[in-house]
Amino acid sequence: MTAQTAEKMNMAKGEARCPNAPSTQDIIAKDSVAAPGWVRSESYQFLGDEDIPTERYYEEDFARQEYQNLWTRTWQFTCREEHIPEVGDYYVYDIGRKSFIITRVAENEVRAYYNACLHRGTKLRASGTDGCTSEFKCSFHGWTWNLDGSLKKAQCEWDFPHVKAEEFSLPQAKVQILAGFVFINMDHDAPALETYLGDEFMSHLSAWKLEDRYVHCHVSKIIPANWKLTMEAFMEAYHVIETHPQVAVSNADANSQYDFYGEHVDRFISPLGVISPHLAGQYTEQEIFDQFTIGDSGGVSTSQQLGENDTARAAMANMFRGMFEEASDSDLSHVSDSELLDCFSYTVFPNMFMFAGISLPMVYRFRPVADDHRKTLYEVFFLRPLPKSGERPEPAEQQHMADDQSFVDAEGMDDGFGVILDQDTENLLLQQQGVEASAKKGLTLGNYQEIRVRHFEQAIDKYVSGK
Amino acid sequence: MSNTYTQFCKLEDVPVGGKKAAKINDTWILVCNIKDRLFAVSNFCSHQRKPLLSGRVRNCAITCPVHGAKFNLETGEALNLPATKPIPTYEVRVVDGWIEVKV
Repeated sequence: MTAQTAEKMNMAKGEARCPNAPSTQDIIAKDSVAAPGWVRSESYQFLGDEDIPTERYYEEDFARQEYQNLWTRTWQFTCREEHIPEVGDYYVYDIGRKSFIITRVAENEVRAYYNACLHRGTKLRASGTDGCTSEFKCSFHGWTWNLDGSLKKAQCEWDFPHVKAEEFSLPQAKVQILAGFVFINMDHDAPALETYLGDEFMSHLSAWKLEDRYVHCHVSKIIPANWKLTMEAFMEAYHVIETHPQVAVSNADANSQYDFYGEHVDRFISPLGVISPHLAGQYTEQEIFDQFTIGDSGGVSTSQQLGENDTARAAMANMFRGMFEEASDSDLSHVSDSELLDCFSYTVFPNMFMFAGISLPMVYRFRPVADDHRKTLYEVFFLRPLPKSGERPEPAEQQHMADDQSFVDAEGMDDGFGVILDQDTENLLLQQQGVEASAKKGLTLGNYQEIRVRHFEQAIDKYVSGK
Repeated sequence: MSNTYTQFCKLEDVPVGGKKAAKINDTWILVCNIKDRLFAVSNFCSHQRKPLLSGRVRNCAITCPVHGAKFNLETGEALNLPATKPIPTYEVRVVDGWIEVKV
């Protein structure tokens, strides 16, 4: 242990940062095109250092309480607006055994109906489907509802004098649309989505203009681990050096920045185009540049010779600016180096990740598999900016990968990024099994680099306990 | 009569993004034009024989507006419940500005 590390260890809990390395803010402050305020702020606090009890990752009773108290009271991303652009368009969203028909009932109104016939319960639309209709007709006996949810027809009405149409409208969940995402909440007393997310994050989100993007690629896969464990695999850059050694050369991992905003949002900023502190001094700027891996490269070559005084990060920013300007036919001269390069990973509680920035335009969604809480349906959406014409391309169809299939096989997936996702998810079966096998019944977390895991689990605890 | 192409309609009657249903002999055919590629399938859903004509076409699939069954327009495969059986597909071509379908 170096003297400096020892000194940091004597600091107040949570104050220590990666020694002998520039901070994320130091790195960003040197960029030629300055980053906006939402990048240049910090919002970390020490939240405790006790272990996270592990029963939550495998006990059936905990999953039952989540369905009862958490999924029923939180805002969840169901689909993008471009999935349902026309009146009558619908998209079926499931969480556990609950199912909702998300449908546009008027030009500016989207509703979420519980997806079950009020006669004998048949789903009105199969799970995982979408389409367009003028009414919802049950395939069993033909009971039918209008788009506005009112009962249109009870088959053989003479036999149902006890059915009053006004009591047989399709029940609804709350719906709000934000940044092109359609969110629902089953709790009619839930706070407005803006309140739930908080002012600080709302200001970040409004800067990203995600409403002006479209789903370019949508990939899903079953991961053999609990949904919380699966999400937590993506909450820190601490694992990069061991899990993704191929990117550590050009990823400031141990000096990434971690923040949280209120109860439901947290983030990291992981600067790219700079070397990991673990590898400091071992690579030239040219080598860092050459090994950079990006998520949505569009197949553009990265070969370029750096000048003697060039940094890999500055050269990457210049190259990306030109590359993305050409790809999107837009002027990015005022977009900061940081937004072009860095990984901005945000959790929106309970089960969504949003990535800001240009090079890594993803959204992740994680849902427990309905009949197996030790498995997760993991989805990756790539959101590309709309073409300059403003015309919205059709959203990409979901590609579901087999359990043993590589993410690299997905059409539209960058190979380098597919490998990273494979590496992330390959750890998870071993972790799920290990958590269940262990003599130690708690996860031990780093105070800073794993603050998102703790922040997330504190929200889990709050909801599951019914508070 | 089998294995021969029959004139269906003028190409201009099924513009890009459009579809048209018509009978050839006793068979109801649905022709869809997706980005200048034509597909010809049965106009009837394999689930309850409801017409597919007003169904939404997206990403090379048509969704039955009645109960939501979806079919791949190229292969006819049923992609989701309540349908489990495929719909027939037909070869289609354009000759002298006419769409022709082999039934």
